[in-house]
Amino acid sequence: MGLIQRAIEASGIPTVSISILREVTEKVKPPRAVFLRWPFGHPLGEPGNVAQQLTVLHDAFAFARTAQRGEIRDLPYRWRRETYRIPEEWGRLESGK
Amino acid sequence: MDTSRQHLNRLLARLFTSVPLVGRIWAKFAPIAVSADVPWTPYDKPLAATRVCLLTTGGLHLRHDQPFNMEDSDGDPSYRTIPADARPEDLCITHNYYNHQDADRDFNLILPLERLRALVAAGYVGGLTPNHYSFMGHIDGPHVATLQQKILPMLLARLHQEKPDLAFLTPS
Repeated sequence: MGLIQRAIEASGIPTVSISILREVTEKVKPPRAVFLRWPFGHPLGEPGNVAQQLTVLHDAFAFARTAQRGEIRDLPYRWRRETYRIPEEWGRLESGK
Repeated sequence: MDTSRQHLNRLLARLFTSVPLVGRIWAKFAPIAVSADVPWTPYDKPLAATRVCLLTTGGLHLRHDQPFNMEDSDGDPSYRTIPADARPEDLCITHNYYNHQDADRDFNLILPLERLRALVAAGYVGGLTPNHYSFMGHIDGPHVATLQQKILPMLLARLHQEKPDLAFLTPS
């Protein structure tokens, strides 16, 4: 995936990705990535957990605007035992889902 | 067709899924080329004015589209196009190298299209490109060159027509 991300960025379109294998991402060096130590197949979290998915999206988009070239940001979420709420800035999604 | 390598790939992927530590140790010693440079395009648009394109290597595709070729042990370097208005029931996953039972139930785990549509409707994200793109990853051998020389130029031509301000990529 890093190859694809790097090609898109090199063509003039900014990119941000989720990494679930930090050791690979460190070698491939994408322009911007957020890292989650979560199982394969679950970069956005668990099925049906809208608040969790939105939290990851929110953090990835916010990071994209402030990232330094080549930065990999560790997001602070464990795979289990986390309570998620819809990000405050996106409060209008509370009712509609 | 090298079925022993396919079995090995499948076995490794399952092992990495059930015992993540093994995956991390593998990644540390795997013969992955270390890039020297980092490409960079500045991004400073407000999110509410940002048009987003989603890409995944999770093997997602439209049900009526051609599935990814899982018979080739070097992977399938092609991509599938997913329209921005695709419904969950129109989509499926062809990928043997990771456990996608959860992603089958909720495609947003690998391609958060429904979440993005809600964000656009609420005005938090500027928009979505008309199409989004899915690969299967695990590209090896001669297909790396196919991806670089043939497939990526096609993808980039389409992206530059559809003009995203930000591309968001998710692995599987």
